[in-house]
Amino acid sequence: MAGSGSSLKSAALLEQMKSHLTTDVGKELVKKTDLVYQLNIATKQKIGVDDEIYVVDLKVGKVTQGAYKGKPDASFSLKDDDFLAIVTEKMNPQITFIRGSMKIKGSLSASQKFTPDIFPKPSKL
Amino acid sequence: MAMRDLVTGGAACAVPGSSSSSNPFGALANAILGSTMKAQDLKGLPESRVTVPTASLDLRPEDQFATIPGSEYENQLYQHADSQNSEFLRGFRSASHGSFEDAWGEVHRPPILPRAGVREIEGHFTEFEQIYDGGVNSNIHQIWDGPPQRVLSSYLHYFVNSDRDRTGFRPTALPALGLSESDKRCIRDRSCIMARHIFADKNEQYINEQVSSFLHCLDIDNNHLIRGPMQGPYAELEEYWNNSQTVLRPTVPHPADSWISEFSQQRASGDPEAWAHSFEKQHGANGWVSEFGQEQAQLLSAGQLGGSNLSSIAAMEQTRMLAHTLAQNNDPKFQNSKFLQFVSKMSRGELIVDDNQIKPATETISGDWANEFHMQYDKKPLEEHFSGELFHGANTWVDEFSKQHRQEEVDDQWVTEFSKLHVQDWAEEFGQQVAEGTFGESTTDRWAEAYDDYLDEQLAAKPKSSASSGVYVFSDMNPYVGHANPLKVGQELFRKGLLSEAVLALEAEVLKNPDNAEGWRLLGITHAENDDDQQAIASMMRAQEVDPTNLEVLLALGVSYTNELEQAEALRYLYKWLQNHPKYKPLASPEQSTSLFHADIARLFNEAAQMSPEDADVHIVLGVMYNVSREYDKAIQSFETALKLKPHDYSLWNKLGATQANSVHSEDAILAYQQALDLKPNYVRAWANMGISYANQGLYEESVRYYVRALAMNPKADNAWQYLKISLRFASRTDMLEACDSRNLDLLQKEFPL
Repeated sequence: MAGSGSSLKSAALLEQMKSHLTTDVGKELVKKTDLVYQLNIATKQKIGVDDEIYVVDLKVGKVTQGAYKGKPDASFSLKDDDFLAIVTEKMNPQITFIRGSMKIKGSLSASQKFTPDIFPKPSKL
Repeated sequence: MAMRDLVTGGAACAVPGSSSSSNPFGALANAILGSTMKAQDLKGLPESRVTVPTASLDLRPEDQFATIPGSEYENQLYQHADSQNSEFLRGFRSASHGSFEDAWGEVHRPPILPRAGVREIEGHFTEFEQIYDGGVNSNIHQIWDGPPQRVLSSYLHYFVNSDRDRTGFRPTALPALGLSESDKRCIRDRSCIMARHIFADKNEQYINEQVSSFLHCLDIDNNHLIRGPMQGPYAELEEYWNNSQTVLRPTVPHPADSWISEFSQQRASGDPEAWAHSFEKQHGANGWVSEFGQEQAQLLSAGQLGGSNLSSIAAMEQTRMLAHTLAQNNDPKFQNSKFLQFVSKMSRGELIVDDNQIKPATETISGDWANEFHMQYDKKPLEEHFSGELFHGANTWVDEFSKQHRQEEVDDQWVTEFSKLHVQDWAEEFGQQVAEGTFGESTTDRWAEAYDDYLDEQLAAKPKSSASSGVYVFSDMNPYVGHANPLKVGQELFRKGLLSEAVLALEAEVLKNPDNAEGWRLLGITHAENDDDQQAIASMMRAQEVDPTNLEVLLALGVSYTNELEQAEALRYLYKWLQNHPKYKPLASPEQSTSLFHADIARLFNEAAQMSPEDADVHIVLGVMYNVSREYDKAIQSFETALKLKPHDYSLWNKLGATQANSVHSEDAILAYQQALDLKPNYVRAWANMGISYANQGLYEESVRYYVRALAMNPKADNAWQYLKISLRFASRTDMLEACDSRNLDLLQKEFPL
C-alpha cells in the first residue's frame, strides 16, 4: 500500500477500506451489497469546490480515486471531517444529510446501505 | 370588505374537528392578538430584509387592505379559525382609542415608509374609526356552557378582559373542556405570556396568581406539563409573529397599551429589521422556522390523522394566503425577505398523508424549505422538528424533500441537484419501501434513536469540541485536589495501571502547578493509553508549552495527531522531535518545519537511523511517520526493528499492532496486541484495538467482549461505546443495545465476559 498523495483524512480511511475489501469480510460485503458508490470529498470548506473523488466499488470490490465511469448507484458529497465523523460513528449519516452537510444523489435505497459499519475502523497507535 | 371584515372576523367557520390550540394559526392569532410583545433588545440583523411595505398605504379600500401584508391572511385566518379568535378580536376593540391612533399614525409616518403622505394617514384614520366605533358597543358576555370551544374561548376572553375591568380575574367553575395535553400546554404557555402582557403594570406575584387561578379552572397543572424546549411550541413562533405583526400589520388593534408603547419604542430605534434581529438574537436563527416546523410536526403527531390533516390543510391555506399577500408587494426588499421566502415555502411544503398513501400536495413546492433549514439554522431545533415528524411518517419528510424545486435564487447546490434528479423516483421508491414494510419499525426507531443520540452528542460535544481546539477539560469532583503531592500519587497509579485514577491525580497536580511539564506529559500519556486522543493532545500541548524540547512530548503529539488523521500536525511535531534531538539536530534545518514534505522528513529520519542504528526511538518515529503516509509495510519494518531493541515497550507493541491492523493484517495485529497486554494488562487502548481488529475481521461477538473490557477500565472511551454498538448490532445482540445506551457496564460485563 503505497501512500497516496492525498492529505485528506478520508483518504486514510479509504485506503483502509481498499485493503479491507480484499479480506474475507470485505468480499462478503461486496457480495451482499453489489453497488457502486462515489464519494466527493471537499478539500476546501465548501462542498463542490475542488472535490476529491473516490469510488467505492462494492460490485467488484475496490476503491479507486477519480470519478466513476458510468453511473454510480449513489454519490455523496461531504467534507473531509464530516466523512471521518460518520465512519467513526461520531455523526449519524441521516443527520448529516438533513443538516445539509452531506449531499446525496442517486438511489435512496443504495444510499441507505452505505452505512458506517461497512467501513473498517482505524486502530490507534 | 377589508377592514371591517378583518376586525369583525368575517364569516368565521371553525375547522371541523380541531380545537383552537391544535390549529396553529388559530392559536397564532390568539397569541398575536393576546400575547405580549416582550420588550426585546433591538439589534441589527445582517440578513433579514423585511420592511414594512410601502404599498400598504394605498388608499383604495379593497386593494388597500388586501395589500397590507398579512391582512389577507388575517382575513383568511379568521375565516378558518375558531370563533374564539373572532371573539378575541371583538374584545380588542376596546383598546384605548387615543393611544392607538397615535401608534397608528406613527406606523404610517416613520422613515421606513417614505411614501406615506399625510392625506393617506387621515384616510386610514377615518376608516378605522368607523369600524372601531361600530364595534365598541358590542357586548362581551360570557358563555359558560355550550360547546367546549366556545366555553374555552369565552373563558380565555374573560381572562384577557379581566385586567381591563380592573376587577381582577375571578375563578369560575368550568365544565370539562376535554383539553388534550398539548392543548393544555399550549394554553398554559400562552396564558403566561398573555398574563404578563396584560398585567404588565402589576407585579410578578399578581401575574402568577392570576395565571394559576386561570389555569386551575381549566384544570391545567402548571408545573406538571413539561415545558417544551423553548417554552412551548408556539411561544417562539408567536413572538416572532408578534414582532412581524407590529411591523407588517399595524392594522390589528391590540388590547393593551403596552403594545403601542412598545411599538413606539421600536419606532424610536429606527431599525425596521430590529424585530427580526431581536427575535433571531434571542432564539437563534432557526427559532421561528424550527418552531413552525415543530408545530407542523406536532400537528401531525397530535391525534388522528384526519383531524390534524384538516388543520394542517387549513394552516397551509393560510400560509399560502399570507405568502400570496406578501408577494403582492412590489417592494423588492420585501420580496427578498427570508420571511417571505419561508412562508411561501412552508405554504407549499405540506403534504397530505392520507392513510398509508402519500398524496403529493397539489402545488409544487419550492425547494428552499429545506434549504432554509440547513442554510441558516442550528442543528438542535431541526432535530426536534424531525423527531416529531419521524414518529409519524418518515414518508412525509421524504416526500417533502422530494417535492422541491427551485424557484428562487439560492446559494446552495444541494437543492438544485435534488431538483434536477429524478427525485420523484426517489420518493416513490421510499414510499414503496415503507408500504412494503421494508423500513418499518426498525428504521424509524433507529432514526429516532439516532436523533436522541445526536442530541446527546451535541450536548456532550460542547466540551469535546473545546478539547479538540486544544483546551484541556478537567474532570469534575476530583478527589485528589488538595492532596499534598498529587504527582507522586499519579505516578504510582500509572505504574499500577489504574489509568483513570491516575488521570485524576495528575489533573490535581497540574491544577496545582500548571507549569509542571512532567505532570502534563504524564497526563498526556495516560490519556493516550486510556484511548482518549483529544485529551492527550490537549495535555501534551500544555506540556510542550512549558517544555518545548521534551522529546517524549513531541513524539506523543506526533502519535496522537496521527491517530486523529491530522497529517500536517503530526509531521510537524515529528519533525520537531528531530530538531530538538541533541544528536540529530544538525540534520534538521530550523526554518523548514512547516513546508517540508513527508518524503524529505522521512529521508532525514533515515539518515538519522543510519547515524545510530541502535537508537530505537528513531525507528519508532519513523514508524509513526510511515503510518502518516500510509506506507504500512515500511512502518511495520521500522517498528519491528525498534522492537528488537526494545522488546518490553508495551506501547511499541501496540503501535505495531495498530499498523498491522490498519493495513488489514488483523491476525498479526491481534498477536501484537496480546504482547502489549501481557506487558501491561490495563492498557485500555490495546483492549479497544483488539476489539477493532476482531470487528474488522467480522468476529463481532468476540469484539464485543474486548470492547466491554476496555470500557470497564475506562467508561469514558466514547468511540469504544460507538464501536460496541456496531458490533452488538452485527452480532445480533440488539437486546443489549439498551444496556449500551444507558452505559450499563455491569450488565454488559456479565453478558460478555472474557
